[in-house]
Amino acid sequence: MNSPANLPQGILSGIRILDFTWKTVGPWAPRLLTHFGAEVIHVERAGSWDDHRYAPHRSPIIEGPQTEFSSGNGSGPLHGGGHSDGTKPYYSTPYFTILHHGKLAISLNTRHPKGLELAKKLIGISDALVENFSGEVLPSWGLTWERIHEINPRLVYMSTSGFGHSGEYKAYRSFGPTAAAQSGLSLASGLPGKPPAGWGFSYMDVMGGWMGGLALIMGLLQAKKTGQGFYIDYSVTEGAMSLLGTYMLDYQVNGRTTRRPGFPPGNRSLFPAVAPHNTYRCSGKDRVGQDWWVFIACETQQQFESLCDLMGQPDLCLDSRFATNEARVANQDELDAILSRWTRPRRRYDVMQQCQQAGIIAAAIQSAEDRVEYDPQLKHRGMHPVIHHPEIGDFEYEGYPAKLSRTPAFVHGRAPTLREHNRYVYGELLGVSDEEMASLEEQGVI
Amino acid sequence: MRGVYDGLTVVELADRRNQWAGKLLADGGARVIQIEPTNGSPARWCGPFVNDNVDPNHCLDYWWYNTGKQSVALDVRRTPAQDLLRQLLAHADVFLESTPPGTVASYGLDYRSVAANKALIYTSLTDFGQDGPWREYQMNDAAHLALGGHMASTGYSDPSVTPVGGQGHQGWHMGGVFALHGITLALFDRMTTGEGQYIDVSIHDCCAIGTEGAVPEWLYNGATFYRQTGMHAAARRQPDLELPTADGMYVIAVNQTFGDKGWAKLIEWMEEKGVAGELADEKYRDEAVRTADYRQGTAVRDGIRRLIAASKGEEVFHRAQSYGISWALIRAPEENYDIPHYQQRDFWRPVEHPEIGRAIPYPRGPFMSDQLQLEPRGRAPHLGEHTAEVLERDLGLRPAQIAALAAAGVVR
Repeated sequence: MNSPANLPQGILSGIRILDFTWKTVGPWAPRLLTHFGAEVIHVERAGSWDDHRYAPHRSPIIEGPQTEFSSGNGSGPLHGGGHSDGTKPYYSTPYFTILHHGKLAISLNTRHPKGLELAKKLIGISDALVENFSGEVLPSWGLTWERIHEINPRLVYMSTSGFGHSGEYKAYRSFGPTAAAQSGLSLASGLPGKPPAGWGFSYMDVMGGWMGGLALIMGLLQAKKTGQGFYIDYSVTEGAMSLLGTYMLDYQVNGRTTRRPGFPPGNRSLFPAVAPHNTYRCSGKDRVGQDWWVFIACETQQQFESLCDLMGQPDLCLDSRFATNEARVANQDELDAILSRWTRPRRRYDVMQQCQQAGIIAAAIQSAEDRVEYDPQLKHRGMHPVIHHPEIGDFEYEGYPAKLSRTPAFVHGRAPTLREHNRYVYGELLGVSDEEMASLEEQGVI
Repeated sequence: MRGVYDGLTVVELADRRNQWAGKLLADGGARVIQIEPTNGSPARWCGPFVNDNVDPNHCLDYWWYNTGKQSVALDVRRTPAQDLLRQLLAHADVFLESTPPGTVASYGLDYRSVAANKALIYTSLTDFGQDGPWREYQMNDAAHLALGGHMASTGYSDPSVTPVGGQGHQGWHMGGVFALHGITLALFDRMTTGEGQYIDVSIHDCCAIGTEGAVPEWLYNGATFYRQTGMHAAARRQPDLELPTADGMYVIAVNQTFGDKGWAKLIEWMEEKGVAGELADEKYRDEAVRTADYRQGTAVRDGIRRLIAASKGEEVFHRAQSYGISWALIRAPEENYDIPHYQQRDFWRPVEHPEIGRAIPYPRGPFMSDQLQLEPRGRAPHLGEHTAEVLERDLGLRPAQIAALAAAGVVR
C-alpha cells in the first residue's frame, strides 16, 4: 500500500492537498505535485467512486474479479456491486492509475452532517483544496469560499470548471471537448473544406489539467510568500482561449476571422507560409488498417535543396515552380504530390531518419505503441518508468517530464485502492477512534 | 499591481519555443528581459502582421507571446555580447533558453559557467532535452504533434485521410507549461534553501504524455486507436458526435447519460421541431432502456442528430445546457469576444498599442485570482527598445560604450 510514513522527502514534503477532483481535468493538478512529495488525499464519495476508477463501458479494468457496475457516475448513487461483496479492491482503469498514482484515497459522504464535519476538519489541516465539480456543489454543502477561508485562512482553494464560478455560464456543464469546442481550439484543427477535426482526445483535460497543476503550484508559492490563503477560479475554457491569442489579435487588428476558406490549413503552415510543410503517406499500415504517415517541413532554402538531393531530384530546386519558398507555397499541391510519390513506397522511420540526417524537419506520425515500444528518445529519457505494484505486479506509467537537477521528480507508489487510507487519514490525522470509525462506516459517512 | 512572480528578474534568450513561459512570468509580475538577435527574434518574423505588412515590430504572434517584456538586442555569437549576458545572469533569478544542446556551452553560457549565481534557476526548454539519440534532430511545432502522438489520434473517420495536428503552437505550449511548472517548483524550494538549479525540459517528452487514454490503453490492453472525425480516437469505431446544425455550425454532443428531467425536456424539444419519431415511445422513459440504446443502438443517437440538424447552433448550446446536457458549440476563437459571460468575468484586458493608435482587448490569462494576478501588463517591446536602458542601469555601461558596441554590431 502507499504508506504515508515512507514518503520520500521532496520540495513539497509537508504540503497536504485535499483532492476532491474526479474524471480527468481535475486530478492532473495534484498528481503533478505528488512527484515532489506532496501528500495528496483523493476523496471519493462513500459508497461510490470516482467514475474513472471503474468505467466498464469505456475500457476493461486492469485485473480482478468481474463485478456488476453502475453507469459509473462517481457523484451518483451506487448501483450494483463493487467492493462490499468481498472482491479484491485494487483494480481500476488504466487511465485512473495514470491520474492518481502516488495519492492517498479516502471515502467520505459530505452530504451527511458528520461527513461534512470531517471535511471541514480536513480543510483545517490542509494547504490546498482542489475540486472540479460544477460551481454549485461546494456551496450546496455549505462550503462557500468565505466559509472555507474562515475555517483555514492559509488554505489555497482552486476550483477547476468548464466556464468558471461567475458569469452567466457558471452553471453550464463541461467536459474536455466542451472547452476545446467553445474556445475555438476545435475549429482551428482540420482540413480546409471539411468539418473540424478537433482534437482526437480531450486536449483540454490533459493540457487543461497541466495548466491547473501550474495554477496550483503558483498558488502554493504565493501562499508561502504571504502566509495567506486565497481563491483561484480556473475556467478551462478561458485556459483554452489563452492558447489562441494570436487569432484573437488577428481579428482585432486585421478583422480576419478563422471562419474563412483555407482555414484551418490541415498540416500546412500559414504563419509563416512555408512549403513543403505537410504529412505524407508511407508504406505500411497500423494494426487497425490506418496508413502510416510522415511529417516533413522545410523552413529554409538549404533544407529544401537537401531534400531535393535526398529524393534524387536535384533539378527540382531549379524548377521555377519550386525555386523559392514563395513559389513553393504557390505551388504546394504539385509539390506535395512529388513528395508523396517519394515517401509512398518507403518506411516512415527511414524517411524520418534520412531527412533528419540531412538536416530536414521530419517526424513519423507515432501512435501510442510507437512511442512506448520503438521511440529510442523516450526510452533514453525514461519517460515510461515502472511503478512496483505489490498486488498486481509492476506497471509502466507516463513520467513527469521536467528534469530538475537538484530536486528531481520521483514516484512513490501506485494509484490507491478504494478507501485505502481511511484509517491513516481519519485515525492518525484526525484522531478518530476505531469505535467512532466503525460507527461512521455503519452510518455510511465513510 | 502585485503578482505571483512579482520581484523576479528573468532573462529569456528569444525563441519561439520558450516565449509563452516567459510571457506568463511577465504576466505574473516578473521583469522579463528578452535577449534577441540584432535582426530580431524569429518570433517577430512569422506573422500575421498588422495589415499584412512585414515588420518585426508589427507581428501579432509576437505581440501575443511577449506582453510586458523588455527587449535587449545583442549578437550572442560575439564575445562582448556573451560577456554582457553573463553579467546579466549573475543577478537574474531565472534564465530561459531553447538553443540546440551544446550551443550555450560554446558561448560560455552553460549552467556550469554561470552557476556562481547560486540562486539562478536555469531552464533549457528544447525539442528533445539535453541528451538522447534524437537530441540533434530538427523539429517545429507540427512535427512535435506528429512525433508526440496527437496526430495519430486526430483527424477523420475515413482511414484514407491524413492525420491532423491542431493549429496554434500547441506542442510548444505543452513544453512551456512544464518548463514553468518546474520553474515554479524551483522557486518554492528556493524560498527555503536559497538555491536555484538546472531544469532540462524536452518538448517531445511533454507531448508524448499528452494523449490521454492512448498510452495506458496500449500498455494495458494492447489497443490501437481509430481516428474519428471531430471526436475521441478509440479502440473501436463509434457513432459521430460532431453533428451539423441548421445554420452550418457543429455541435459536440458529448457522450453522457440522460436523467429523467433532462430526457423529458429533450423529447419536448424534439416534438417541437417535429423530429421525435420513435423516441416519443414510452419505453424510452426508462433510463436503462435509453442508456442501453445510446451505448449500443441507433434510435437515441439518430434522434439527437435530427434535433441538432433542425436547430440553430446557439439554440442547441443554451437549451441543452439549461437542461443539464453538456453539449458544446464549435465556435471560432474570435466569436468569444461577443459573449457576455467572458465580459462579466473581466476576461478581456486592454493593452495600449501606439503602433496602431488604440488599445486591443487581450485574453486575460488562464486563471482568475486576485493574488496570482496573471494578466498582460503592457504591450510587447519593439526590437531593442530596452537595450540602452538595461546596459546602462543594470550593467553600468556609459552611453559612449553602448554607442561603440552598437557601431560594432554587437548590440542594437
